Amino acid sequence: MPSRLLAIIRKETREVLRDPIYLALAIVVPIIATTLLALGFVLDVKNLPVAFYDQDRSPLSRDYMYAFTDSEYFRLVTIANSPEELDRLIASATVRAAVVIPPDFSRRLHAGESATVQILVDGTFPSRALIASGYITAIDAQFVAMLGADYAARRGFVRTSMVPVTVDGRVWFNPSLETKNSLIPGLMVISLMFYPALLAALVLVREKERGTIFNLYCSPVARWEVILGKAVPYVGLAMVVYALLFALNIFVFHVRFVGSPLVLTLAALLYITASVGFGLAISVFTSTQVAAMLVVFIGLMTPSMLFSGLMTPVSSMEPSARFISRFIPASYFIAMVRGVYLKGLGFGHFAHDLLTLAAFAAIVYAVAILGFRKRAG
Amino acid sequence: MFRRTGGLIRKEFAQIVRDRPLMFILVWAFTAAIYSAGQGRATETMNVATTVFDLSRGPASREFISHLQAPYFKIVSYLDRESEITASLDNGQAAIVVIIPPDFQRDIDGAGQAHIQVLTDGALAMPATVSIAYIAAISARYSVDVLDRRARVAGAASARGPALDERLRVRFNPNMLSSWFAALLELLNMCTMISLLVTAANLVREKERGTLERLLVSPARPIEIFLAKIIPTVIIVLVLSALSFAVVLVPAFGLPIRGSLVLFFSVTALYVFAMTSMGIAIALAARNMAQAVLLMILILQPMIFLSGAWNPPESMSPWMRGLSLVSPLRYFIDFAFGVILKGNTASMLVWDIAGIAILGTVLFTLSLLSFERRLRAS
Repeated sequence: MPSRLLAIIRKETREVLRDPIYLALAIVVPIIATTLLALGFVLDVKNLPVAFYDQDRSPLSRDYMYAFTDSEYFRLVTIANSPEELDRLIASATVRAAVVIPPDFSRRLHAGESATVQILVDGTFPSRALIASGYITAIDAQFVAMLGADYAARRGFVRTSMVPVTVDGRVWFNPSLETKNSLIPGLMVISLMFYPALLAALVLVREKERGTIFNLYCSPVARWEVILGKAVPYVGLAMVVYALLFALNIFVFHVRFVGSPLVLTLAALLYITASVGFGLAISVFTSTQVAAMLVVFIGLMTPSMLFSGLMTPVSSMEPSARFISRFIPASYFIAMVRGVYLKGLGFGHFAHDLLTLAAFAAIVYAVAILGFRKRAG
Repeated sequence: MFRRTGGLIRKEFAQIVRDRPLMFILVWAFTAAIYSAGQGRATETMNVATTVFDLSRGPASREFISHLQAPYFKIVSYLDRESEITASLDNGQAAIVVIIPPDFQRDIDGAGQAHIQVLTDGALAMPATVSIAYIAAISARYSVDVLDRRARVAGAASARGPALDERLRVRFNPNMLSSWFAALLELLNMCTMISLLVTAANLVREKERGTLERLLVSPARPIEIFLAKIIPTVIIVLVLSALSFAVVLVPAFGLPIRGSLVLFFSVTALYVFAMTSMGIAIALAARNMAQAVLLMILILQPMIFLSGAWNPPESMSPWMRGLSLVSPLRYFIDFAFGVILKGNTASMLVWDIAGIAILGTVLFTLSLLSFERRLRAS
């Protein structure tokens, strides 16, 4: 019996190896894709281009503008001469935010009154607009607190001009707060779901389109032998890709890695096995290659991107989204990857995640094996 | 000639429509998938899961904590021991921990300065940066309240000090609805992906089965075969896009259509022509479907990446901005957002339309030429 399984593994391996272009693409494409994203993908909202229209032209209004440009969040592009110019700058996306300082800005503030600043934000990228307006509010609030402390001290209401409450922000695990440290391992999670599943999804359906599936139908092999035999070479191929991606992360991009490669590799093996299983299950239930590919793209890829916690931490999601994320293997792998890479957590911490991945794998293989029916004629 | 091309188009059309699972996925892609992308809230940093370690446990600290609320923060638990700080970040329960020092009450009541500590999980780099800014705003506002109170205690008649009144105006998407953005973007991505994939897949299949050669001996000219290969996809993508507007974008998300739909669909047709032509070129280069799909990813991924939708142009490096000029998707996204959300007219979008037209012509010509060469060779 194992000899039949071995024969299928051998046959499938040969099929992969004898198409060198395909083999090269299967290894090179994930690496190129990761490299491109890692080089240029900027998730953090920093250095937003901003412009001012300063009608006050006072030392205080200048201090106010410095409060923006001194923060790492904004980058001064220009000081406009008219509100129309600001509008044009926003419309042409030269700046993403603009601030109008009124003529009575310093007079009112020095008198302890309220001054009105107008803020324009480009809403084309809503999440960025939201973050930008959050930063502006923070800068405004801190500017006011500083002025208030000064004002109260000048009037003799308080002894010092200290702001009563300050915030000391510290970042754990990724102290330099580099997005690459969280982004690049995240890309690996997505790649190791997507490519293995995509390639495996074509395996059976290709034989269906070519008609060679009938050779399998009328051979004495058992269903489980077919599915597992087809899975093994693709798991192997994906492990090679995993090793290369990991090397790329560490040696080329110098991503912070404080954990154990052994833990990561075990987690990757389970995850890849599940990914290939998903692909094979899709292959069992579709009848054309194009349909199988689209199911991987839309049914597997999109939810993995949205709900795995790659972009939004799962802890911050709404209950319904958090519920969905529990049915997505990438959620578990991403937690492990971040835990191993940045926090150095070990086996003990991931027993639950590892078991869950194993359960996912068991279920998809069961579905693929039961769904694969040998039909006559 | 028209009858002949018509017959070929009908044949290609039937081949796509006949594939029931494929049709189901296509409809799914343009309805449910777009709906879930619009719902996804994938990139918002809201409701950051927060745990609080309050060492002061006085009225002042409780007051401060009461300001950490939705939509920015979601307090998931209060900690009792210092050791729990690490644990709550480690197990992903919280993205940030707010620590209030033991002498908080004394500092607030007296004239001192209290330092609030915020620990963030840097593994989630973006939420970390943003939530520190939010907390800074909250503590500054709280400081102003404390100053007012101190001034009143010191006998000031009017305690209010200087203040800034923000008048925020968000252009183009006043409520910053990410659903508009995400759903429309997903539609544009679907148009791109489906045009490429379906066209390429159909041609590769003919190559795999050897039926392409059969077309060679037919009286149809290469350009007729070529058009017959791409026109059905163009029609299907346009119909599905219209369906997506009618069923998802407008009713579910209330997407405003500020510009002309005729303009939108005309340019979309042009764009889909460009993408299907590229699909043919990919299919000609690949020997089988697996090769074709990997080649497609190799092209599709940088295209999406350089389109400016993930990465606004200002955060791209100069070489990336240069490269993005040859991504048709960049012009298409700019165009579609301009027409639909900003209500721009054709004359305002002339650069985008020209970009799509020029790249489309180049793609169409190159891929038609290689198609002819391939037919003649076989």
